[in-house]
Amino acid sequence: MAMNVVVCVKQIPDPAAPSSLDPGTKTLNRSGKLILDDSDSYGVEMALQLAGNVEGSEVTLVSMAPGGEVSGLRTALAMGAARAILVSDDSLAGSDALSTAKVLAAAIRRAEPDLVIAATESTDGYTGTLPVQVAELLGLPSVTFAKSVATDGRNLKVERQTEAGYDEVECPLPAVVTVTAGVVEPRYPSFKGIMAAKSKPVETLTVSDLGLDASQVGWAGARQEITDVSEAEARSAGEVVVDEGDGAERIVAFLEQVKVV
Amino acid sequence: MIDWSDEQLAVRDAVRRFVEEEIAPRVDDLEHGDLPPYDVLRKLYATFGLDQLARESFKRSVARRREADGGGRARNGDAGGGGSQAALTLIPIVEICRYCPGLVTALGVSTGLAGGTVMKRGTPAQMERWGLDLLTLDKIGAWAITEPGSGSDALGGMRTSARPDGDGYVLNGNKTFITNGPYADTIVLYAKLDDGSGTDLRHRPVLTFVLDRGMEGLEQSSPFRKMGLHSSPTGELFLTDVQVGPDRLLGEGKEASDAGRQSARDNFVTERAGVAAMALGVIEECLSLSTRYAKDRLLWGKPIGDFQLIQLKLAHMEVARLNVQNLVFRHIELSSLGRSLTLAEASAMKLYAAQAAVEVAMEAVQLFGGNGYMAEFRVEQLARDAKVFQIYAGTDEVQVTHIARDLLSR
Repeated sequence: MAMNVVVCVKQIPDPAAPSSLDPGTKTLNRSGKLILDDSDSYGVEMALQLAGNVEGSEVTLVSMAPGGEVSGLRTALAMGAARAILVSDDSLAGSDALSTAKVLAAAIRRAEPDLVIAATESTDGYTGTLPVQVAELLGLPSVTFAKSVATDGRNLKVERQTEAGYDEVECPLPAVVTVTAGVVEPRYPSFKGIMAAKSKPVETLTVSDLGLDASQVGWAGARQEITDVSEAEARSAGEVVVDEGDGAERIVAFLEQVKVV
Repeated sequence: MIDWSDEQLAVRDAVRRFVEEEIAPRVDDLEHGDLPPYDVLRKLYATFGLDQLARESFKRSVARRREADGGGRARNGDAGGGGSQAALTLIPIVEICRYCPGLVTALGVSTGLAGGTVMKRGTPAQMERWGLDLLTLDKIGAWAITEPGSGSDALGGMRTSARPDGDGYVLNGNKTFITNGPYADTIVLYAKLDDGSGTDLRHRPVLTFVLDRGMEGLEQSSPFRKMGLHSSPTGELFLTDVQVGPDRLLGEGKEASDAGRQSARDNFVTERAGVAAMALGVIEECLSLSTRYAKDRLLWGKPIGDFQLIQLKLAHMEVARLNVQNLVFRHIELSSLGRSLTLAEASAMKLYAAQAAVEVAMEAVQLFGGNGYMAEFRVEQLARDAKVFQIYAGTDEVQVTHIARDLLSR
């Protein structure tokens, strides 16, 4: 059965470029060109693989960004997504995670998805709360931290990463699932895909197009406020361990301490 | 064209990611470990769908040729899109040359020179037989024109002979400095017609043949040790009574009997424009590495970028980068208009770009000081690699003669 897989993608300032905070709003300056959040490329790849398994399936991107920004969307479209829905509206400036979830949920609902995929968290915001908020607003089951995802078109089977290993989780579709970075290898866009991306449909919507009121979003609707920002503490020098024949044991002990092994 | 378009930047970013993930970690093996370049090039083609694009382009070319042969009006290339096609070809060249110019040489000779010659001069049957596999990199090609006694005078001084024998030919001679020569599956080879007519050797017709690896009498040497470009295998070919049928003569005699001279010259413009793009890659990387080093390297308590002699080097590098980039952009823009560089223009572009790349790379070595002389800091490899830009595809001196000849003929 053909599926419509929706992927939430965020377009963020290039982490490799110098970034700055707006001193007035204490939020990240997003005035320059935005790129696809690298953590979302795993969700896009997962969606493309799932859609590729069933003929007639396609991947739809949903994003919210200022200034009608589509650069990051074009990257995901070049990878193979079929179309995109972009919500862009001046009134969205200052939206907190819940406001953003309301906007994305309304946009996702229009796409009538069988499955919604998102990253566990964005690279610039790191709240990690948005996917579950979207699921709640849509009334869908939510499975987080997926390291593998499989579906027969009716149900979802997920291996959910835990500290001790992974849980095997099943739920009916439609559902919202978040994927962790590194679970799949995001494909390179082909040259043909890059050239085709510019002619793929991107539906740009405003807040009112979604049936939402401007008072529900942006600064007006935000339920959280950034009261202060401060510089991160400089990293202190690491501990130097001199190998006196017990180097291997001490490395293992350290890794156990930080729960890597 | 004053800058790359958004789509071109997307292509550049994707190729840059591939180069950093797939090529950069293998540079040592490619440059010093005798790892042939073909697997990574095939992966490049498969990753970006270039093999599929080559198949589609091949189908169109064969259809056009059949149409022209059937009395239809020959069309040159695809309608429109020449500029975007040129950019799609040149962007990977620039990006790969930031790390490994030898890969571009191996790729360009196989697909552009060997594959391109078959597609331009071959019959539809020959295009089917050899062209497609070369364009997709399924087979590796070499383009054999240079001989031990003739480099810049390749056509006049050529001694490799093609003696008619029945309805075919017997080939004798040897070729040198042949890129991909040691590993080539398919070899496009130029030889002088030796029909016993007594014509002066210099003026005998030049014919173009296609040979396959393993043919009796054909020997392919092991790779030469070279100053640079170690990732591009270069070798010799020895031909001893190699018997070829008429099906291996490109064009199968349908074109003028001296078609080989024009066939060789056809490649000059494309080849020289490609070298300018290679030079741009080397210049961009040397400038990037040098700028970062100038900020990080401290001398007498200050970053060396604070010293005016270092600033002068960086400024000269940036001037070179801008100039060479503008030349590459002009070539792309002309292609988008369905025009091409004249031979003199291509020669001027190549002459300037090659000299600029060598100067920039050597200045980068100087700016890095002792570190610049060490392989770890990479600029020494780029400097050694860049030197060949002044030698192959026509030496600087040959470019000068082509430019001057054009000027003086006006």
